[in-house]
Amino acid sequence: MRVLLAEDDPVLGDGLCAGLRQQGFQVDWVRDGVAALRELGSAVYAAAVLDLGLPRLDGLDVLRQARQAGVRTPVLVLTARDTVPQRIEGLDNGADDYVVKPIDLDELAARLRALVRRASGQAQPLLQVADVQLDLAGRQALLAGAPVVLSTREFDLLEVLMRNAGRVLTREQLEQQLYRWGHEVDSNAVEVHVHHLRRKLGAGLIQTVRGVGYLVPKV
Amino acid sequence: MPREPRMRPHLRSLRNRLLLGVVGGVVLMWLVAAWFTWRDAEHELGELLDAHLAQAAALLVAPAAHEHFHEELFARAPHLHRYATRVVFQVWHEGQLMQGSGNAPSQPLTTLRSGFETTEIAGQRWRVFATVGDAPDIQIYVGEQLDVRDTILRAVLRSLMWPLLLGLPLLALAAWWAVRLGLAPLDRLSHKLAQRQPDALEAVSLDPAPTELQPLVAALNTLFDRLARLIETERRFTADAAHELRTPIAGIRAQAQVARGATGDAERRHALDQLLIGCDRAARLIDQLLMLARVDAGQRGEGGPQELGALVRLAVAEQLPGLQARGQSIEVEADAACAVPGAPVWVGVLLRNLLDNAGRYAGPGARLRVSVAQLDDQPQLTVEDSGPGLPQADLQRLGERFYRAETGLASGQPGSGLGWSIIRRMAEVLGLQVQADRSPELGGLRVQVRWPVSPRAPVR
Repeated sequence: MRVLLAEDDPVLGDGLCAGLRQQGFQVDWVRDGVAALRELGSAVYAAAVLDLGLPRLDGLDVLRQARQAGVRTPVLVLTARDTVPQRIEGLDNGADDYVVKPIDLDELAARLRALVRRASGQAQPLLQVADVQLDLAGRQALLAGAPVVLSTREFDLLEVLMRNAGRVLTREQLEQQLYRWGHEVDSNAVEVHVHHLRRKLGAGLIQTVRGVGYLVPKV
Repeated sequence: MPREPRMRPHLRSLRNRLLLGVVGGVVLMWLVAAWFTWRDAEHELGELLDAHLAQAAALLVAPAAHEHFHEELFARAPHLHRYATRVVFQVWHEGQLMQGSGNAPSQPLTTLRSGFETTEIAGQRWRVFATVGDAPDIQIYVGEQLDVRDTILRAVLRSLMWPLLLGLPLLALAAWWAVRLGLAPLDRLSHKLAQRQPDALEAVSLDPAPTELQPLVAALNTLFDRLARLIETERRFTADAAHELRTPIAGIRAQAQVARGATGDAERRHALDQLLIGCDRAARLIDQLLMLARVDAGQRGEGGPQELGALVRLAVAEQLPGLQARGQSIEVEADAACAVPGAPVWVGVLLRNLLDNAGRYAGPGARLRVSVAQLDDQPQLTVEDSGPGLPQADLQRLGERFYRAETGLASGQPGSGLGWSIIRRMAEVLGLQVQADRSPELGGLRVQVRWPVSPRAPVR
């Protein structure tokens, strides 16, 4: 799952990046409000963590302008501004969650997963298509109740496809969701991961729509 | 602690003091007036009655009075008035009492031949006038009981004291009322103060405030104002500190958690390094906040005039290791004799912050220059660098709390945005002019600090 982190403090930004990566997120880190607004508009992120005290453009303005521009990405505000009026202002300006620093990394990851889950209209922390189940919190895949070992990329790819069950996703869309900045993407990386997934979970789960992309059918 | 002057409890009240003063003063004045009246009345009455005695004696001396003296015939004059018993006269002829009033004793009233005398006869004090009659063998005495005079004097005094006795309660009542009326604004003031919430520090208004109370009200309001500002500073400091420490602490916590969950050595080492950086920055932020709080509270060092050049060299020596670590060089032109007034500690803090800022944001390998000059009697300190400098918009916002210029962000130097707040506040406290612009020679930021006027006192 690819998330955007907007934080100007170098130590905290670095820590959040590393921590969220440990939890299986792909994290892109921007350090000012203008960059944050630009990246939010690109719509490749499953969620965003936004500091409010950003240089160049305040986090609240980023949030307001992004929402006005129709950006629907779930945003978790992570800030030092802790008064009740400030929390209300943050939520009313389009934040989906409001967390005061400092925060436990596990909790931050759980909140992000919950945000993404709710954004995709899903109440259960489990994704299920046919007899394949994905435990998002535990990052585990089950085939007919039996655990299947998946690599990080395979899990992420399957999660994106299952989350968008019934929709065809192009290779470019999938690559954007899977790889953060600065990672080289092989031209056939997605094909390779799909191949492995089919071998581990059965050929019928992921369908190829020739010339367009891939699809996990909605059951 | 200063010792309170001891005062009897009932005199601690202004009202009682005023009442006592007014009523006591009136009574005293009255008593003094009564004493003078008594003394004068006694004197005048004495003279008047003595004159009467002399007059009466003169009547007796007149020859007609004893033309019809019969030898050895004693004539007694009749009582004509109730006071007549207190007045006596005797006319003696050749040792024989010839004439006398009804109550006259059979002895001569006095042995004096002529003149006034106060004597005691049968337990009574008498005023006696003696004179020789129209023949040398006639001796005349006229006497009057002294207590007559006392009775008259007492009557005079009584008429004097009655109005006082009657008037005193009225006077006390009037004085009490006047004092009460006069002190009413004081009561209103204390009532207003008593009714305040403990945290209410706005100005007291007393309308209309009597002239005597205006300085008190003004002093109170000055005190409230100072307190309010002090409390506001404290509150802002606490809020700022709590707020600004959240981010570094969140960073430290996150890095610690990353280190704990790290799977590789490199990842763990990186997280631990970041954790240390985070700790250092939190510590520096705390130092800066404390310094800012001290400057805000208006604390300032004391001391005689200081040589600016010496303070500059001291500050540069302190900062040199940090500058060298960034490959920066620094020139010092501080030979000009420049005395600045006192407070060496704060001048040191100012210099340290200026140099720290320059070193931090000028970038690696930059040139720094510190110079001291005396311009029109005003000492001037200039700190400039060859760094990227600041655009106009940033120059104007320098000194706003927690404002971080973009150049600072670009240089990757984490600043708290407090360095300039400290510099600005310091300048306010020390009365300095601080100006930031672009250095014409080095191209980076130039900060000029100007002291008001050089102190005249000699410099060590």
